[in-house]
Amino acid sequence: MKNEVLELRPEGLFCPAGDFYIDPRGKVKKAIITHAHADHARLGHKSYLCSKNCESLLKIRIGEGAFIESLPFGGKIRIGEATVSFHPAGHILGSAQIRVEVGGQVWVVSGDYKPQADQTCEAFELVKCHGFISECTFGLPVYRWLPEEEIHKQINQWWNENAEAGQTSLLFGYSLGKAQRILAGLDESVGKIFVHGAVFPFLEHYRKAGVHIPKVQKIEKNKEHDFNQAMVIAPPAVEDSSWIRKFRNVKKGFASGWMLIRGARRRRNLDRGFVLSDHADWNGLIDVIRGTEAEQIKVTHGNGDALTRFLCEKGVSCSVLAGAGMRGEEEE
Amino acid sequence: MKNFASLFHDLDGMTKTNDRLDRLVSYFKEADPNDSIWVSWFLSGNRIKGAIKTGELRSFLSERVNLPLWLIEECHDRVGDLAETLSLLAGSSVTGQSIGLDQTIRKFLLPLRGMDTDERKKLLYKVWDILSTEEMLPFHKLLTGGFRMGVSKGNLCKALARVGGVEPAVIAQRIAGSWTCDDLSMEDILNPTNEGIDDMNRPFPFCLASPLQEATDGLGKLEDWQVEWKWDGIRSQLLTTGGGSGMLWSRGEESIEESFPEILECIPYLPSDLCMDGEILAWGREGLRSFSRLQKRLGRKNPSPAIQRKEPVRFQAYDLLRINGEDLRSQPMEQRREKLESLLAGIPDHLPLGLSSLVQEKTWDDLKARREESRERGVEGFMLKRKDSKYETGRVKGSWYKWKIDPYMADMVVVSAQLGHGKRANLYSDYTLAVWSESGELVTVAKAYSGLSNEEIEEVDRFVRKNITGKFGPVRGVRPELVLEIAFEGVRASGRHKSGVALRFPRIHRLRKDKKIVDADSLETIRGYAGLNQIEDSTDGIKTDSDGNLLLL
Repeated sequence: MKNEVLELRPEGLFCPAGDFYIDPRGKVKKAIITHAHADHARLGHKSYLCSKNCESLLKIRIGEGAFIESLPFGGKIRIGEATVSFHPAGHILGSAQIRVEVGGQVWVVSGDYKPQADQTCEAFELVKCHGFISECTFGLPVYRWLPEEEIHKQINQWWNENAEAGQTSLLFGYSLGKAQRILAGLDESVGKIFVHGAVFPFLEHYRKAGVHIPKVQKIEKNKEHDFNQAMVIAPPAVEDSSWIRKFRNVKKGFASGWMLIRGARRRRNLDRGFVLSDHADWNGLIDVIRGTEAEQIKVTHGNGDALTRFLCEKGVSCSVLAGAGMRGEEEE
Repeated sequence: MKNFASLFHDLDGMTKTNDRLDRLVSYFKEADPNDSIWVSWFLSGNRIKGAIKTGELRSFLSERVNLPLWLIEECHDRVGDLAETLSLLAGSSVTGQSIGLDQTIRKFLLPLRGMDTDERKKLLYKVWDILSTEEMLPFHKLLTGGFRMGVSKGNLCKALARVGGVEPAVIAQRIAGSWTCDDLSMEDILNPTNEGIDDMNRPFPFCLASPLQEATDGLGKLEDWQVEWKWDGIRSQLLTTGGGSGMLWSRGEESIEESFPEILECIPYLPSDLCMDGEILAWGREGLRSFSRLQKRLGRKNPSPAIQRKEPVRFQAYDLLRINGEDLRSQPMEQRREKLESLLAGIPDHLPLGLSSLVQEKTWDDLKARREESRERGVEGFMLKRKDSKYETGRVKGSWYKWKIDPYMADMVVVSAQLGHGKRANLYSDYTLAVWSESGELVTVAKAYSGLSNEEIEEVDRFVRKNITGKFGPVRGVRPELVLEIAFEGVRASGRHKSGVALRFPRIHRLRKDKKIVDADSLETIRGYAGLNQIEDSTDGIKTDSDGNLLLL
């Protein structure tokens, strides 16, 4: 891809007019970051620019020493010949779509986004543009999400049932974003809540941003905890580690959009899957893409072939942004 | 349908057999018997056939949800299960209608069979309107036929036994064979007495041997064991039901007497109310013939006298389970064998009925040496049965073993892959394998999808995704780089694969990351295993392009 605003280079999406990259893979001088997930915010750039609410989360990810600047949502900044602004993407706290305007042409890089309601982050903002680079993690019509209240209800019910049977509920969810979203919906009256060490550091930043996070205990090494009837939130990576041996009488669940498909849940040998995603579902993708009124759509992340063909058949100019950072299932 | 749907989802979420058993018991205790009988019928391995063609179902749904057909295919590809795909796409806005399972099947499922396309479409649209989200998947599972709930037939019997306070073996016998929900009720199945059921028409649940994995040292003295060759045919039970008629039941509990009328000719020579366990074998004047000869008789009802002459069969008797209505299963093997021998001694020689002979050796070492004869004899090794063993239900450990010969092995190249199903939906876990032809091309010989660990499957999946060279429906051509060692039981000529041969029971033995594709075996080697090299070479092998990519048709 190459146009007057953005082009794809080996290091990632580049804006020649402003000499900056967006979510670059390679090490660069100036990186603009959509959100603090590891596959978008990488180590080793000379300088970072992100949204205000993203800044403190980014520091946890890449260290205090990095040079990070931030900008409030909606505020514009001139970088070289380009005008840049951040707009809420509704993916996790501080996640942004990046609007880049060069010579009257506007492109928006969505990063990851979801238009569905989420009480733990800023609501998605639809930005009109000429070109839109959309994520496409769940680009098939089977993926349709229920409202989050519905999923929170399911999680609390599951926790309640397990607690009544004297069991610990161990729920896997990514440490940044998903974990906080789960926590925000938990019914504290059921029992104690514990979190894995990877989840803990983000919590105070969510609280500072005004998100309700219940009282939790951090699981410490070499410390005896009473997990009876408790809810434990941990990143999915620990599932196969020895960490998990602390739990004796335990039911395991996983909160992710991938849990919509039975095979994905059964393969992991989980007791329960909760379909809670931080990405747009099929209808969300279609609505947003149409809503931007963009003349050109590029899709990235996941299998964009189906979405692309579907949109093309409807007369929308759409193609897959090749090589812009494929990623697998693991990161939801 | 609500109770059934919640049973379905609960079983689906459970990972432990005992949890499933408990859940099934609680269902049977609460549910309407008219619904329970269907659940028993489905879990016995039955399915409603021919309600609708899946192609038609897809196009109805495509119309209904206003999505192109290709996109429905893409979804199916991702989800790996048609019923689940349909359920997710059809969606639902209803939260709970309640007509029972029996009514749902009789009103919305069975009638589909006799309808024309328009009527069928109307009926399905109606179902999609009234089903709740939870009911969608179980309904589509019934509709598309493939219906499993992680409950084996043995466990179904255990659950029913607990509900009715009847022995599992009695239940197993009552639900054996073919029956419909119109001719068997829950009351019949759970009946504490035996009246009202003609048990003489039903096969007994088969007693199955476990594979012998450890050395024979642990088995004690050889003289405690009855040793037979392990014949390669169709395991079945031959029954006489009085009045000169009889039945032949396969292990899959299908009645197959129509396919083998000559075996039924033995009935007048046998006592009434008899049940014999044995194997149907391809058997000519020269003796045993290969399994592939037997396959020419399979699935063929009422075979002509010509084919009966050309492809003769016989029933090789293993065991005597009932005679004159007396159940012998709890008697020791040794005694049943004696009775079987004296029974068959009186049968005229011209009948297609034989006795599985005993292999007599003094020591385990001698026996092991005899096992080497297996391939030449066309058998699969030995069957070891403890002389004091009962005829039990299902797979037993400790008293019956199959001591099979080692399989053939060959290194093969993965040339295409397909997504798996169920637990492996979303993973490329089904592979098409090729070996080198004489002209230096890779020709396909087998498909295999079992044998790797979950970690290995994920590894191969990653490899496949990086090396896809083409898309052919659900099949992905894969750059030939990966070598797998494949175990198989035999080779026969077949048009199924381009190589002109097909393997029996191919499965993956291990990943050979240490091997390059040039190290893979040749077709000649594989044909050699079956003595097929004399057969004229087939010329239309599978082609590859100049980059070595497989060209599929």
